[in-house]
Amino acid sequence: MPPETPTTGAPAPGAPAGAPAGRRSRLTAALRPGNAGVVYALVLIVAVLTLLSAQLGRPSYLSATNITNILDQSSLVAILAVFTTVVLISGNFDLSVASVAAFSAATVLSLVSALGLPLAMAIALGAGLVCGVVNGVIVQRVGINAFIVTLGTMTAVRGLVLIVTDGRTITAKDPEAQQALIALQAGYWTIPHILAVAGVVALIVGGVLALLARRSGGSPVRGAVVAAAGVVLVALSPVLGFELRLSKPTYYLLAIVTITWAVLRYTVIGRRLYAVGSNAEAARLSGINVDRYKIGAFVLNGLGSGFVGVLFAAKLLAINPTGLQGTELTVLAAAILGGTSLFGGLGSVLKSVVGALILFTLDNGFNVLNLGANYQGVIVGTVVIVAAAIYTIAGRQRQVRRVRESQAQPERTAPEPAKTQRQGALR
Amino acid sequence: MVTTPLLSLEGVGKSFPNGTVALRGARLNVLPGSVHGLVGANGAGKSTMIKVIAGAHAPTAGTVRWKGEQVVWRTPGAARDAGVATIMQHVPLAPTLTVLENVFLGSRGPWRLPRARRTEFARLLERVNYHIDPDAEVMDLAIGERQMVAILQALATGAELVVMDEPTASLAEGERRVVFDVVKRLSAQGTAFLYVSHFLDEVLALTDRVTVLRDGTVVEEGETASYDEDRLIQAIVGRDLLAVERRAAPPAEATGPVLLTVRDLCSPAGVRDVSFEVRAGEVVGFAGLLGSGRSEILHAVYGADARARGEVLVDGAAVRRTPRAAVAAGMALVPEDRNAQGIVGTFPIWKNISLPDLPSLASGRALPRERAETERAERVIDDLGIVCPGPEAMVTELSGGNAQKVVFGKWLHGGTRVFMLDEPTAGVDVGAKADILELVRRFAAQGGAVLVVSSEFEEILAVATRVFVVREGRIVAERPAHETSEEELLMLANGFGEGGAQGAA
Repeated sequence: MPPETPTTGAPAPGAPAGAPAGRRSRLTAALRPGNAGVVYALVLIVAVLTLLSAQLGRPSYLSATNITNILDQSSLVAILAVFTTVVLISGNFDLSVASVAAFSAATVLSLVSALGLPLAMAIALGAGLVCGVVNGVIVQRVGINAFIVTLGTMTAVRGLVLIVTDGRTITAKDPEAQQALIALQAGYWTIPHILAVAGVVALIVGGVLALLARRSGGSPVRGAVVAAAGVVLVALSPVLGFELRLSKPTYYLLAIVTITWAVLRYTVIGRRLYAVGSNAEAARLSGINVDRYKIGAFVLNGLGSGFVGVLFAAKLLAINPTGLQGTELTVLAAAILGGTSLFGGLGSVLKSVVGALILFTLDNGFNVLNLGANYQGVIVGTVVIVAAAIYTIAGRQRQVRRVRESQAQPERTAPEPAKTQRQGALR
Repeated sequence: MVTTPLLSLEGVGKSFPNGTVALRGARLNVLPGSVHGLVGANGAGKSTMIKVIAGAHAPTAGTVRWKGEQVVWRTPGAARDAGVATIMQHVPLAPTLTVLENVFLGSRGPWRLPRARRTEFARLLERVNYHIDPDAEVMDLAIGERQMVAILQALATGAELVVMDEPTASLAEGERRVVFDVVKRLSAQGTAFLYVSHFLDEVLALTDRVTVLRDGTVVEEGETASYDEDRLIQAIVGRDLLAVERRAAPPAEATGPVLLTVRDLCSPAGVRDVSFEVRAGEVVGFAGLLGSGRSEILHAVYGADARARGEVLVDGAAVRRTPRAAVAAGMALVPEDRNAQGIVGTFPIWKNISLPDLPSLASGRALPRERAETERAERVIDDLGIVCPGPEAMVTELSGGNAQKVVFGKWLHGGTRVFMLDEPTAGVDVGAKADILELVRRFAAQGGAVLVVSSEFEEILAVATRVFVVREGRIVAERPAHETSEEELLMLANGFGEGGAQGAA
């Protein structure tokens, strides 16, 4: 392949400086407290808890076991938070996730003995999917506010749980079925030599990036940097060892959040979802099938809730009629901590997962420090509000800064572009 | 003049903490009982000046005098108490309350609806010679009526100076007249007005004195009578424009192939049996009053109105009735309300521009290539002369005219062949307006078909080759643009002269 001449600045003289500058500012923007605040908050909380537990002579907070535990504990809520974030980005709202998950759990538990796990699980996932379709269709086609609709389905689906369970705790009694369920959820997968694995992945990614950049006429520096980092990791691997041992739900979470993030970040679908959530009418007039995206988000959320329900059932091998009640609010809290806008068009699934981690780190911290659960509500509630306040204030400041930046510049373009067109239509 | 000005600003400056200087040494003298025009391009500092007068911004330099005494208004309440009422462009009324409650919203007292208010309201109506049902809920009112409610509200506070920011921007001709009459009547009774408008003919017809702002400073001030439109434009734009090109648009005998065919289009939204054809290279204007169904026709043609029935063909091929199919067929709609319908506020310029045509800027039509998107945005910025720091800037930070150009730019390079523009120059300043109209002509010259809806008939005449007059959801007349006049269009749009009495002579 002949290397194509880079056509960087041809169409717009005076602009070529714009792209790299924009990219750099995108990186710094991503690191600003207003954007990455939730990550800093998590680091801060972990640091405080580590110091406290060391001070009190308790087992090290940062031990591999404890971290693995926190990840495992938060994985179900974090998965729900990922899909809820998708719905929030699409400009809607879903309160029914916990009820749907409970319904799915009840379904799988009551069917697994008779039908076997694959079929029971398929039906449970299907149930979740149907709930999502119902939510989406009523919200989009009938045009009722999503808050009201999902408040209704939350209650109604909880009613279905009561009907399925007949108000009692149900369990999977069949030992074979129990084994199948346990295999789905319990236990750990270990990736040995994680540094080497990560290094190889980085090498491949770096290579692909460099290739892509070459093809589109950009500079391959970014890819080279990533690849170099990969080489360093591989080189360090024999020295540092390090294996990654995480619970199965944690891996499920990692897979789900990675895929969802990549779809939202890099695909046409993702871009359009943000557009639809931010301004549905503008998106519609731009030729986007708004209903499809909004209903799709609900369906995905229903399906995700169904999956979490199955995992929940597999974890406890039982569900009582009030199981998971109130979880929908934890999920929303995680998304809000992650900076997702309740008005649509803004949000990041990665940050929602970090939000979930914060909630469970606090939870876990209370246990480790033996502080008693009485104070927990107050602390968690405060954290959520403080986080929202920080986002709001940071957003406002960013706006001021942007206005300043955009007004500092126009001087150069202030005189009207030299169109000598005269104006016949003043009245 | 010996009269003490009611309000005078001397050397007023306003700079913001972030370093922006919005006003520099501005002066203004509003005489009692006069109508004072304030004009300037977008971003010239009109809004800042109004906000200083309304007490929403404290000036950072200079003095404000009210009836000769120096005053400092730190809150809008202080200005209102002194006798300044400000009617903003987007009238902040409480839509769920009645007209009466809205009019007396600012008045004090513990009870919601004292009986005395009604007589007071009746007196107000008498003063302005207008009638409106005091018990109607504001959300049921047309925009023009809301504007009147806002004026009544201002009067109810006993204002001696009423500041009006673009009061007629979204009004139809008839409603505009009502507002004019009220302003004239009240100024004769002694109320002073500060009238801010993009419509220079209004300013010329209505005001006694006029102040021109440019780049934050007052460049001219004087008796309105000593101005004509050309001089005003020159002062606003700060450059010498060529003689007004009221180009009786080239009598283009439409020779191109038929690009758009519309047959028997009907919609419950108010479109009745609309059929027409547009050829390549044609600009077709839809002249109609507000509420005549002109916007509804565009939306129905575009498929944005799901209840519309009828046939739309582009290049002889039927287009399914959804915006998605319309876009795929090469149609584009630039909507009336750019903030609500045109731009995605959370996206920077480049993402807005690439939105309709994203798949073709994406690898495998699935993974957007941000580089290609940015390049397209840069090209559009260049083509349209969008004033902005770069493609990374947020559209919400641009002035009205530039944001409008972004909405245009979305469709510029995506293979669009039928452009439908709904009030493309509403709220846009003089310079940008000329650019946009030029854009329309250029697009048609390249073989596209353009449909333009505008309340400004003169604008239609300037840009269109053919004009359809729309009334009550129907096309009631068709005229070649060079054979008709603003007056005739107005007659037809109002329902006169359909019998041919006017005759297209």
